[in-house]
Amino acid sequence: MKVQIDKRYPLPCSPEIAWEFLQNIESVAGCMPGAKITERIDAGRYKGTVTTKVGPATMSFRGEVEMTEVDASARSLRLLGKGTDTTGSSGASMNLTARIEPAEAGLCTLVGVSELSMSGKAAAFGGRMMSTVGDQILKQFADNFAAQVSALQALRAAPAAPGGAANSAPAAAPAAAARQLNLLALAWTIFKDWLRGLFSKRAA
Amino acid sequence: MIKKQTVSFKLNGTDVDVVVEPRELLIHTLRERLQHTGPHIGCETSHCGACTVDINGMSVKSCTVLTVQCQGAQMLTIEGLEQGGVLHALQEGFTHEHGLQCGFCTPGMITRAYRLLQENPTPSEEEIRYWMSGNLCRCTGYQNIVKAVQYAANKMSLARTGS
Amino acid sequence: MTATKETLEREAKLNGVGVSRLRKEDARFIRGKGTYVDDIKLPGMLFGAIVRSPYAHARIKSIDKTKALAVPGVVAVLVADDLKPVKLDWMPTLGGDVQAVLAGEKVCFQLQEVAMVIARDRYSAADGADMVEVDYEELPAIVDPHKAMAADAPIIREDIAGKDEVGHGKRTHPNHIFTWEAGDKAGTDAVFASAAVTVREEILNPRVHPCPLETCGCVASFDKVTGQLTVYITSQAPHLVRTVVAMLSGIPESKIRIIGGDIGGGFGNKVPIYPGYVIAIVASIVTGVPIKWIESRIDNISTTGFARDYHGIGELAADKDGRIKALRFSALADHGAFNSHVSATKLPAGLFSICTGSYDIPMSYCRVDAVYTNKAPGGVAYRCSLRVTEAVYLIERMIDVLAQKLGLDKAEIRRRNFIKADKFPYTTSFGWTIDSGNYHAALDKVLKAVDYAGLRKEQAEKRTKGELMGIGVCTFTEIVGAGPTKVCDILGIGLFDSCDIRVNPTGSAIARLGTMSQGQGHATTYAQIIATELGLSSDEIQIEEGDTDKAPYGAGTWGSRSTPVGGAAAAMAARKIRAKAQKIAAHLLEVGEGDLEWEVDRYKVKGNPAQSKTMKEIAMAAHTSNLPPGMEQGLDATEYYDPPNLTYPFGAYVCVVDIDRLTGETKVRRFYALDDCGTRINPMIIEGQIHGGLTEAFAVAFGQAIPFDENGNHLGNSFMDYFLPTAVETPHWETDHTVTPSPHHPIGAKGVAESPHVGGIPCFSNAVVDAFAHLGVTHMDMPHTAFRVWQQCKALGIDTR
Repeated sequence: MKVQIDKRYPLPCSPEIAWEFLQNIESVAGCMPGAKITERIDAGRYKGTVTTKVGPATMSFRGEVEMTEVDASARSLRLLGKGTDTTGSSGASMNLTARIEPAEAGLCTLVGVSELSMSGKAAAFGGRMMSTVGDQILKQFADNFAAQVSALQALRAAPAAPGGAANSAPAAAPAAAARQLNLLALAWTIFKDWLRGLFSKRAA
Repeated sequence: MIKKQTVSFKLNGTDVDVVVEPRELLIHTLRERLQHTGPHIGCETSHCGACTVDINGMSVKSCTVLTVQCQGAQMLTIEGLEQGGVLHALQEGFTHEHGLQCGFCTPGMITRAYRLLQENPTPSEEEIRYWMSGNLCRCTGYQNIVKAVQYAANKMSLARTGS
Repeated sequence: MTATKETLEREAKLNGVGVSRLRKEDARFIRGKGTYVDDIKLPGMLFGAIVRSPYAHARIKSIDKTKALAVPGVVAVLVADDLKPVKLDWMPTLGGDVQAVLAGEKVCFQLQEVAMVIARDRYSAADGADMVEVDYEELPAIVDPHKAMAADAPIIREDIAGKDEVGHGKRTHPNHIFTWEAGDKAGTDAVFASAAVTVREEILNPRVHPCPLETCGCVASFDKVTGQLTVYITSQAPHLVRTVVAMLSGIPESKIRIIGGDIGGGFGNKVPIYPGYVIAIVASIVTGVPIKWIESRIDNISTTGFARDYHGIGELAADKDGRIKALRFSALADHGAFNSHVSATKLPAGLFSICTGSYDIPMSYCRVDAVYTNKAPGGVAYRCSLRVTEAVYLIERMIDVLAQKLGLDKAEIRRRNFIKADKFPYTTSFGWTIDSGNYHAALDKVLKAVDYAGLRKEQAEKRTKGELMGIGVCTFTEIVGAGPTKVCDILGIGLFDSCDIRVNPTGSAIARLGTMSQGQGHATTYAQIIATELGLSSDEIQIEEGDTDKAPYGAGTWGSRSTPVGGAAAAMAARKIRAKAQKIAAHLLEVGEGDLEWEVDRYKVKGNPAQSKTMKEIAMAAHTSNLPPGMEQGLDATEYYDPPNLTYPFGAYVCVVDIDRLTGETKVRRFYALDDCGTRINPMIIEGQIHGGLTEAFAVAFGQAIPFDENGNHLGNSFMDYFLPTAVETPHWETDHTVTPSPHHPIGAKGVAESPHVGGIPCFSNAVVDAFAHLGVTHMDMPHTAFRVWQQCKALGIDTR
């Protein structure tokens, strides 16, 4: 079960800031709701988890993420992730190419092209929901990313505080974003969007 | 260590107490703790109805109920239908009309039909089929099950009118 | 014997063959007192939960049990390494292949067994299963059987990579299982080359699953003190299981007891020996306590014996009058990752060559190529006898295709091609000798009953108004009752069956057979056969099956073989008893054997009818000293019956459908099923079987499929997606019959339970295609869901107002 996700997100910062942030895999992971980097295997390879909740039930994926093909001139990189859920009944793999494109007024756009593949129970039962759910998750991700790069931009712009807090911005991110991905809340968001979509179509 | 709870309810007219984890399903409590193996397990998505019991006057799929939800309930299973050695009209009907083959869906079917006839003593064929659509059968093709329910409806109606 | 009022009364008291007597087994089921495998509770019993692979094709890099073993209540975790020392990590299948009991180096289908967690209850076992950590390296999966034999196809079965055959002839590719062919290829090709008319269609039998309401499972109990292994099991063939377990485990077969109790439906799903059974047995041997393993519904649909997955090509060659001159059928068979289904060693494609059907076809050829894919193993299941559903589907579809090509009526073309009634026993061009049949009479009766001419007229009128109405005709002959041991064996064991009858002094009897009911009513029907033979009431004849300690050896119940083989054994055993009874009666009445004649329930002296002895009186005498000199006491007999032939039940079905061209929804307006199964033992039970088989056929034709995505993920393996009809969708069935007894069967009976499935599926399909025939549609693949039928309407541009 493969899903192709192509997204563009406008960012409120310069391309340089966005690119700096993008290469910090711990920070980027921190923007994904429910995701966490747990261990650095070596340069570019990490172990991590993604935890989601549906009501009282919690599902946890564990796996590896690898950052490759880092091209500073194009400001692009590739992320390869794969893992299984901790009960072993589902598998997932992701092949994502992310790049920063310059935009007007010194701002930029985060462009992501990814192919997400599911196996096992998640594919059998979640497959039909994957694009909708994926869209919502990525929306949250993008919102978090935008907030983080905005904060980073502000930090870089401000004079350096005594004690050299220049690189402390990412610390704020994980605490906020490691809140678990709540699928019931997500389902509600999807439903609201769908309702909205119904009405806006009629108005058109 | 998950804290267990004591749950008390009336099962086929007899008071029972069980001590269960909150996550324990009623079907498992009935079959394994209370030795009532009439209701069966045929799926895990609450489609097949083999686990159907009757709780507080409603048909309930016991695979989708937690035992802790049954505190104080009045519960009826297939085992409670025969009274004083006399078969319920439905039990008679299912035999008479060949409404069963392997028998696996039968307890759920009869328990559901019991509730149907309580609510609607003179159902049409369409109503019977609609009411029983939550109980799957692979052997009979439902035709004789419909006849069995009609047999019971007739017998019960005769008993009521005393004719 | 002329029937008098008195003899008719005595006959009625027997409740024997031909009577729609109520079933003897119902008493426990209507009270919820059946004993299915999950009802079994033994002291100290532990529960097993299987850990399964999420990937369809992957290497196993490591398995870590530590966290699982730490879960409270978990007693053990078994993996392949634990089974290797006792050589039980692999097991032979009933198809001549081997299958992994627990995956060691790699997994070959999604949800394949990787470990079993043993715990004190099913909740702890499930908790433990969640905690087993398996590291997989995913491999590319083969899901399309057409790609299985590509040069660059990934190799699925590395364990047999070096083998050039897996029980059925040479393999040409690592993913190839066998190629089987029958008939005369050169002759057939020649006829096709010069034929006036030929037709060809690609015809799919999609992968489906029998889905009995009870899933598979067992309770295995090994007694360390006595060395006795007892297994309560959902198996349609307990004796075969016992023999295979003996071969696998090294425990002497005499110390193994397999018990088939009440089984909640089989339909072929409960014939194979599943890894879960073997692991449970090993776990019991290791722990010394009983182990229960019951699979979930999702596991059942995903991993146990599926049915069909035959990608067929049908071709017929005919003259301009529609007389078929040659048949050429082939199929690509997707068997999944292991060849595990029941399969006679000489007939790996089952009885597929019955595909000439009810027709007199002088020249024929068929070929089946079987391949491995990364899907669950299986193929033969679901009320199909042995690939008979696939075969009959092809011929019944193709004769409609031929009719459409020639503009011939679909009933008429069948009449022109039927084997005539005076030609039986008829040997087909594939070599099957059809025992008896009267196809013209059956078809005529049905067409009259439904007013076929009127229906065609109505259809013509509706067509002028743009309405879609279809009339499906199906005249099938199927082949059941495997079978003569010369031709039919499983792992070498012949497919005979047996019956052991003991009559006790007070004149009631117990009979035990080697077959295994899963709802077919054997406790009643076998008693009826014996009642008529012995003159004892069927009320007083107890039937037992399933306990291998007590029942004589048999091959179980599948492929509608109980009546043809088990029923024959029962009749023959009863006749042995009758023969002894005759001698005893002669002795008691002081006449010669030849002076006696049998009348319903007693021996009478010819010319002196007041002198008689009933079977009951004889039964008592048989246990006394008053016997002919030299005769042993007792009144029992055992018969091992090796059938001289299979049997060939047949039928004529008509189905009327109305299709909504805007939504694709098909309403079955009428379904009329005439079946001829020879002698009818219990008409009520036969009718029940027809209803059930037609309902399963309806499910297959209109909604069942097991789809996979390109990675081998199941996309429909629960009841959320897999279509099981409820009482609302299921049509109303009308049944009828003719009786053409089988000349070689002791009571002329043929068996019937699979006929409605075999005949129903093409009948529904023919009806749907017939609805579009006037628009040039020659074939539509199943399932005929509303969406798929609507797609046909859309393609024809008729899906809008």
